[in-house]
Amino acid sequence: MRDRARGCLLGLAIGDAMGAPAENLTAEEIAARWGTVTGFLNDRPSGTDDTEYAAFSALLLLEHGAELTSDDVADAWIRHLTGREGGFPGAGFSELGTIENLRAGLRPPASGRHLHSWSDGLAMRAAVHGVYAAGDPATAARLAAVDGAVSHDGEGVHAGVAVAAAVAVAMTGTAMPQEIAAAALAAVPADSWTARSLRAGVVHAGDVPAVLDAVVVRSYPWTDLAPEAVALAFGAFLAADGEFTGAVTGAVAMGRDADTTAAIAGALAGAHGGLGCVPADWRRQIGPVTGRCLGEVVAGLHPLDLADRLADHLEADS
Amino acid sequence: MSERQDRTAGALLGLAIGDAAGWPAVRHRARLLPPWTRRLHRELDAFAENEQVTTLPVPFALNQPTAPLRLGPGDDAEWAAWTLSWLGAAAPALSRDDVHAHWRAVAVGGALPRGRISVAAAADALRRDLDPPVTGHDNPHHFDDAAAVRAVAIGLVADGPETAATLAGWDAEVTNAGDGLAAARAVAETIARLVRGEPLAAAWAAAAAGLPADGLLAASAERALAVTADVGSAAEAVPLLDEPAGHVYSYGVAAAQTLPVAVALAHAAERAGERPIAAVTAAACLPALADSAPALTGALTGAAHGSSALPTTWAERCRRLAGCCAAELAGLDLVELAGSIEERALAAADREVTGGGSHKGKETSVDQ
Repeated sequence: MRDRARGCLLGLAIGDAMGAPAENLTAEEIAARWGTVTGFLNDRPSGTDDTEYAAFSALLLLEHGAELTSDDVADAWIRHLTGREGGFPGAGFSELGTIENLRAGLRPPASGRHLHSWSDGLAMRAAVHGVYAAGDPATAARLAAVDGAVSHDGEGVHAGVAVAAAVAVAMTGTAMPQEIAAAALAAVPADSWTARSLRAGVVHAGDVPAVLDAVVVRSYPWTDLAPEAVALAFGAFLAADGEFTGAVTGAVAMGRDADTTAAIAGALAGAHGGLGCVPADWRRQIGPVTGRCLGEVVAGLHPLDLADRLADHLEADS
Repeated sequence: MSERQDRTAGALLGLAIGDAAGWPAVRHRARLLPPWTRRLHRELDAFAENEQVTTLPVPFALNQPTAPLRLGPGDDAEWAAWTLSWLGAAAPALSRDDVHAHWRAVAVGGALPRGRISVAAAADALRRDLDPPVTGHDNPHHFDDAAAVRAVAIGLVADGPETAATLAGWDAEVTNAGDGLAAARAVAETIARLVRGEPLAAAWAAAAAGLPADGLLAASAERALAVTADVGSAAEAVPLLDEPAGHVYSYGVAAAQTLPVAVALAHAAERAGERPIAAVTAAACLPALADSAPALTGALTGAAHGSSALPTTWAERCRRLAGCCAAELAGLDLVELAGSIEERALAAADREVTGGGSHKGKETSVDQ
């Protein structure tokens, strides 16, 4: 379990850092600029909002455990985030929308009911709920929904729940990639945008143009739609048959919200394969979280340390 | 002209006047000029940024005809007219399938007017053979007010307030869901009640009772009415509505923002005994929402007071469409269009599901 927790959180951080330079680019633009993606795209890779918000959610799980409530999460956002001045680097529409709602006195679930409740901001941080509830997708899904009610609603919550449930199953080490994807689908309403998009990602996995064509809304200029992001992430994970490097580079190469899709693919593949599947030179490039996005509450935390603390809980419970 | 006809023309003309009053109208109308004029506009924006000058570019004609850039209606009036036109050519009684079939045929044929992101995304989905309500639900802008604007037309055509809400719901679910759909139902019902002579407050209250309690729209509308309850005029309400408008997202066409502002300003003007133009010009003072809040305000106040209460100066400049979203609508006279409206009913098979939400009677419901 410890090995898989480490693989998952390191995988998330690697995907985040590798995808960051490719964020909002198209697959064609990425291919033109970097050719085939085989590793980090810049010399000093750095994690972004995905790793920091995942660390933030991990801290909440470590503090409150399975008794975590949406009010706990809202209080933490208020304590650590709403008072920050000068903007929120790396944050998306859903984060600022949430902060504005919390500042206005709204509580969950009303705080998550803004215009961007379908963003992938919960999906990017929900892998930690899967680690915490390893082997128990129902609890992972519940915890992700509890966390997500502060900042998301509807499809944004569905997509986060899908990631949490899938990671919880991947953490067992016995599930095949297809079973992991099936766990994601089983955790969300069959008649939802997230489910329809995920199914398209599963069906077309390995055929990049077909996946992109099926799940990307061309007439929308932003790339942070959660149904799209999870479909691309699971599509990359399945196309690589769960193998770590292929899953992460495959997600990066598709572009769009590449840091988030690669972070999710990396978390899935890292939980599935454990730390041993992570190339050593990639692992060395990942340092502690800078806190650029969320400040002191997460600054200095290393994904591997957080993984160990989550694993401590798993071992204590077993 | 009967009172009903006056109010019908007032709703349509009021919508066009509000559409024209908002600053985005001239940008929509600039589509009638060659693309290079808009490219130069973008370059001038970059110039102002680079040179740190405060002089901002406005749409310009250079060596082209200036007529498109004159004060006049843009996208919203054209979408209302487009909706009236196809409903006018449709059977006297419509089913849900009729409405969806019309959209599919036009989208597949590539004949939809230029529209909001919700419309463009839905058109793309229809061309991929997806069906409503998935086309409106799996839609990044499911929350926008594109359907609410079309619902003004539907409120004028429907044979009663319940028909209006149902018909607007069927039309809305093609492009929208959640608050976007609820706003359309509420607008259609309100307009249908207003043209039948109900007072604004009663008409809106009846329609608002159907808004989903857990949506953003119901809460925003309530809040917008509450914070402006004591103002002495529509103009005074403007700063109080800046906050509900929201400033996080890049597009100001969310139904949960534009409709509450329109409703609050219409109520404020009503209480103050002001004419429709006071509410419309106030709505145009909220730049982020100026694409459609003034149009919705004009529709509500115009329907309540009739075209005779609209200033001739505005009416004469705004009654004819430019064709900036649909070329075939260029020159169409909205007063004449209003005079040609014939009521539409629900098809018998669909009548029993009236008022019970728009997802009944078909198995393709979607999770909200």
